[in-house]
Amino acid sequence: MIVLQLVVNGVLLGGTYILLAQGLNLVFGVMGIVNLAHGAIITLAGLFTYWFATQTHQSPLLLIPAVFIAMLAIGAVLQRLLLEPLAKLGGKGELLNLMVTFGLSYVIVETALNFFGSQYVSLPDLQTTWPVGGLAFNEALVAAGAFGALISGCLHIWLHYTASGQALLATSQNPTGAVTCGIDVRRMRGIAFALGTALAATAGVLLILILPLSAPTADTLTILSFVIVALGGLGDYRGAVMAALLLGLVQSAVGYYLGGDVEVVVPYLLLITFMVVRPQGLGQATR
Amino acid sequence: MNLDARQLGQWIERRLSAAPASAAVPGRRPVTVVILVALIACAGAVPLLTSAYVMQLATDILTFAALAYSWNIISGCAGYLSFGQVSFFGIGAYATSVLVLRSGLPWYLAAPIASAFSGVVAALLGTVMLRLRGIMFALGMLGLARILVVVASDWDYIGAAGGLTLPAQLTPVAVYVAMWVTVIAAFALNYFVLQSGWGLSVTGVRDDEVAASAIGVPTARIKTVAFIMSALAPAAVGGLVAWNRSFLDPPSAFDPTLDLQVIVFALFGGIGTLWGPALGTVILVLVGEQFWAYLPDLQLALYGVLVIAVVLAFPGGIVGIANRFGWLRRRPVLAPAAFPVVSRPPHPAPPGNEIIIEVRDLTVRFGGLVALNGVSLAVRRGEMVSIIGANGAGKTTLFNAITGFVKPSAGGVFYQGKSVSDIPSYERARQGIARTFQIPRLMDSITVWENTLLAARYGKRADAAVDQAAWALHTVKLDGLWLEPTTKLSPGQQRRLEMARALALDPTVILLDEVMAGMTRNEQDEIRAVLRHFREFGVAAVAGVEHVISAIADISDRMIVLDRGGKIAEGVPEAVLRDPLVIESYLGKVS
Amino acid sequence: MLGGTLRVRGGAIIAPLIAAAVLFAASAAYAQKPIVVGASISETGPLAVDAAYHLKGIQVGVADANAHGGWLGRKLELKYYDDQSNPGTGVRLYTRLITEDKVDLLVGPYSSGISQAVAPLLNKYERATPMPGASLPAIFQAPNKWTFQLLPPATGYAEGMLPMTKAMGAHTVAILQAQLSFTLACGQARLAQAKALGMPVVYSTTYAMPPPDFSSIALAIKNANPDAVVVCSYYPDAVGLAQALHRIGYAPRFLAETIGPAEAQFGSAIGPIANRIISNTSWWPSLKTHGNAAFIARYKAMFHEEPDYHAAGTYAAMQVLGAAVKATKSLDQTKLRDWLATHEVETVQGTFKSDPNGLSLKFGQYMFQIQGDKRVLIWPTALAQAKPQVPYTGK
Repeated sequence: MIVLQLVVNGVLLGGTYILLAQGLNLVFGVMGIVNLAHGAIITLAGLFTYWFATQTHQSPLLLIPAVFIAMLAIGAVLQRLLLEPLAKLGGKGELLNLMVTFGLSYVIVETALNFFGSQYVSLPDLQTTWPVGGLAFNEALVAAGAFGALISGCLHIWLHYTASGQALLATSQNPTGAVTCGIDVRRMRGIAFALGTALAATAGVLLILILPLSAPTADTLTILSFVIVALGGLGDYRGAVMAALLLGLVQSAVGYYLGGDVEVVVPYLLLITFMVVRPQGLGQATR
Repeated sequence: MNLDARQLGQWIERRLSAAPASAAVPGRRPVTVVILVALIACAGAVPLLTSAYVMQLATDILTFAALAYSWNIISGCAGYLSFGQVSFFGIGAYATSVLVLRSGLPWYLAAPIASAFSGVVAALLGTVMLRLRGIMFALGMLGLARILVVVASDWDYIGAAGGLTLPAQLTPVAVYVAMWVTVIAAFALNYFVLQSGWGLSVTGVRDDEVAASAIGVPTARIKTVAFIMSALAPAAVGGLVAWNRSFLDPPSAFDPTLDLQVIVFALFGGIGTLWGPALGTVILVLVGEQFWAYLPDLQLALYGVLVIAVVLAFPGGIVGIANRFGWLRRRPVLAPAAFPVVSRPPHPAPPGNEIIIEVRDLTVRFGGLVALNGVSLAVRRGEMVSIIGANGAGKTTLFNAITGFVKPSAGGVFYQGKSVSDIPSYERARQGIARTFQIPRLMDSITVWENTLLAARYGKRADAAVDQAAWALHTVKLDGLWLEPTTKLSPGQQRRLEMARALALDPTVILLDEVMAGMTRNEQDEIRAVLRHFREFGVAAVAGVEHVISAIADISDRMIVLDRGGKIAEGVPEAVLRDPLVIESYLGKVS
Repeated sequence: MLGGTLRVRGGAIIAPLIAAAVLFAASAAYAQKPIVVGASISETGPLAVDAAYHLKGIQVGVADANAHGGWLGRKLELKYYDDQSNPGTGVRLYTRLITEDKVDLLVGPYSSGISQAVAPLLNKYERATPMPGASLPAIFQAPNKWTFQLLPPATGYAEGMLPMTKAMGAHTVAILQAQLSFTLACGQARLAQAKALGMPVVYSTTYAMPPPDFSSIALAIKNANPDAVVVCSYYPDAVGLAQALHRIGYAPRFLAETIGPAEAQFGSAIGPIANRIISNTSWWPSLKTHGNAAFIARYKAMFHEEPDYHAAGTYAAMQVLGAAVKATKSLDQTKLRDWLATHEVETVQGTFKSDPNGLSLKFGQYMFQIQGDKRVLIWPTALAQAKPQVPYTGK
């Protein structure tokens, strides 16, 4: 029974991780850059949700559509102003891209600190725990996992069965080829970053129900998301789902059998091991 | 140096005449250096004469400068962006503390020993971590720092999470002076990496690791050494900071924000430059004090804005801006005042017709794709062999297998009768297998001269390397452009530079991958002229992969035709080019 | 160039109070130079919230002293800078306060981390300084002997929990500790205490900060099924563990977490599952300690809010400093140090008494419990406002 509950916990944790990582994954897949402000966006959305919920006493879930749409717009603007100028540099821009998103994360985190303070906050919504056959399922975790699955499913359908999605997928697989096929790669980058930002923010809205967040949490979330993206094979969204579940399960088992201090380094150990042993990641795609 | 007065006089004259004739020849005159040293010495003395607060601030600046310089070696010069150099800060802090506490060593011995220990750790870590690239390495290092926090927190011998309390035994002046020594040492390492012949290899690794190993740079070793160099000063700084604070615990030893600050400083000053880390640190710490004094709540946010603004507006940092005005330019390494008179005596290859390069039953598969299928061929001394074939025929794969960039799935590669299958590509280059690339792979951040010199360096004294590089550039007629950056060359000139690099290796055999592509008629003729005379350069054989058949048909002794991974024809050009199989492969079936 | 750019704040709030004090007790003494008290405060950065109380406690102390004619007939003035929650900056600021500003007296910074960085400096410059932000015992060990702890030591956190629960029939315990120096000191002390009390420890672990996902640890606790769970925690892990226990549907009979439940937002963060969680505090409004009522009244008058234990700690530091200055009739640091090391002082936080290195010996911890939307003192029994409610239900 313990083992079963560990698996349940691991899968639920993995579901949350999917939610966290998919936005970063999309940005990396299409633009080839690691958005170091990813965790800051998640955290900012989470803190904003806390503020909204405590001010208006409304359900935080109401915010999801609004935040999603607003962040699409903000993401598009950020991409145009900060990242597009670097896109023409190609591979040499990698370092500069990292620096810009790093600067952006500083700006977001410090602004959030000034607005929301440095306290850890969390919301007590969706905290019902359902006992099912001796196993416990928590509402917030199930919701986050379901949402992560939903996002991944939508991404799958969009990328494979719609014209705009296929164009995006083509861009991520071969930017030069995409140009020759008449795809507006610049627009694709804009779409990818806007969508990545919106997904990150949506994750933040749900995350505040699961973890206590404060502005300085941002870095931890960026790293965790990156580890999943890297394990999944950098930009491979199906690989990211597998990586998130693997990480959830391993952390769950390690936490139980070896304790909380080892559990924290599991993502890094997995990352370094995998990078050395299987650099192409868990997914099937060869990029 | 045992120089008599005359030689000394000549030396000084040479140095003085190295003053820029054009903007492209930057020279730092000794006078400038003296002024600079004097200025720095004065600045260094100020805190000693004023208050303890100024001293503390100055010590902080030095601390960051030492860390920024160290980070600059691995991330700026070698191109391996690290988010975890604080690991070495922490390792040094702990090693120093343990040495002082448990062995009773005085700190001025403990800190250098800790520094050396950190270098050893870096050597071991480097073998694993440096296999990662780009963002993987960056975040792998960050993960390493996090892992070390947990390890240190659990290790009772070093105080575990409770930390170590250290007896206060350092005066602020001692810390300040020791910090200066560390900064100067870190600066000297940067100077060595950026301004020495050896340092060119580091730049080569950053600009193009593949091209670097093709011209004989042992990339794995070079980056490990750079990694070790970047681990030395942080350890000493860590030891000093720990002893200055009299306390050490895991979160303060492996504090990731320390790294982030250091990166911002180096970026602001100019990554990979000699003065960037110092300028960035001094300016930003002082500016930071102002932000902090007037807008304390926004200080860090303003830092972020500053970083974004610098990256978008001045990606080269302060040094990049200064360069536009002709200040703080990097001096090309080992570049004489004027293009050297070419004095290399011709040394024709010895006669004979033994086999130089041979491949036997070479098969290369990528996943399910068979790129080469059981190809055998040989190139003999004195021969110029051309390998032709349509796109996807396997020509470049063949060269990659011979030079060691692709591992054959079956079959072997033999050089002068010995199998070279197990030796790395840089070693094959050093033994005399030179190559060019289909798309030129030049080191973009250094001059034409340095690109060539890098290839000429192996196994030679500096003056011999200079002679060899000058000869190679002269041979391909690039003497006039020798101090230009490679980015200013036309495509044809870039290919000629690749030729020059190959010649600079003093090779036995040269493998030319589509050397004529994209060249004007005149340039092709120049290359053809060079190729006609290859035997006089000591080159035993040339093998060329080529599309522009007309340009090579008359200078080739033999032609080999590849089609879809297999050899379909071989012989003298006239015969081969009339072979119906060959015509079919090129033009499709003629019915 | 380097100096003269730092802005001194704090004058704004205190100025009117000082003006009032001057009118109130105009005397020749005020013609003298004021006694300047210096400190660095984490006005920004992760510690800013708690450090704000830290500052307010000092400000109330200064206002209080000035309302009573100052010390040695001189009024008090506070000078402080923002250390941005950064130990390195803290060191620089105390250096500045001592060597540039030449302040007369110092009060320690907030948090064990910054105190730890600053203590050797205070030792080096031989400045007798009360440290109201440092629970970590290691700071108050040789060679440090100029700093005085103004909090109960970390080893005393939740010390009432095990005797109290044992008296109420608890037998087995689980002890968890965040992997930080302060929480580990607490955890080690609780493990030793459980052994001394004969209570078997059925589960024990440490966890790294920032806190991990607690679901596995919660499961392990459920599996061990202890009567009482003691968590030597900070705020985020206190929230995280309570949530994780709830998520697997488990509630031990007693749940105590050291830091977290005292914070105002704890209840709103986790909702009803906060009910009946037990925690500890070094100060409580209902205590009949020396000057407590006056402290609360003045604090409310100045800031229009309730004080918390951080503010009480720094106010106590000012009480101790004032007592030493008045008793020795001097600002001589050696005299102050010798006096502080050998005398007891009654404060709002209880009795100050330290060992020769400055470690607090008499400050105690009180246990309180969240009961509905209130927090009530439940231990020691003599001071209890209500009986503990058992069991913890986790819903």
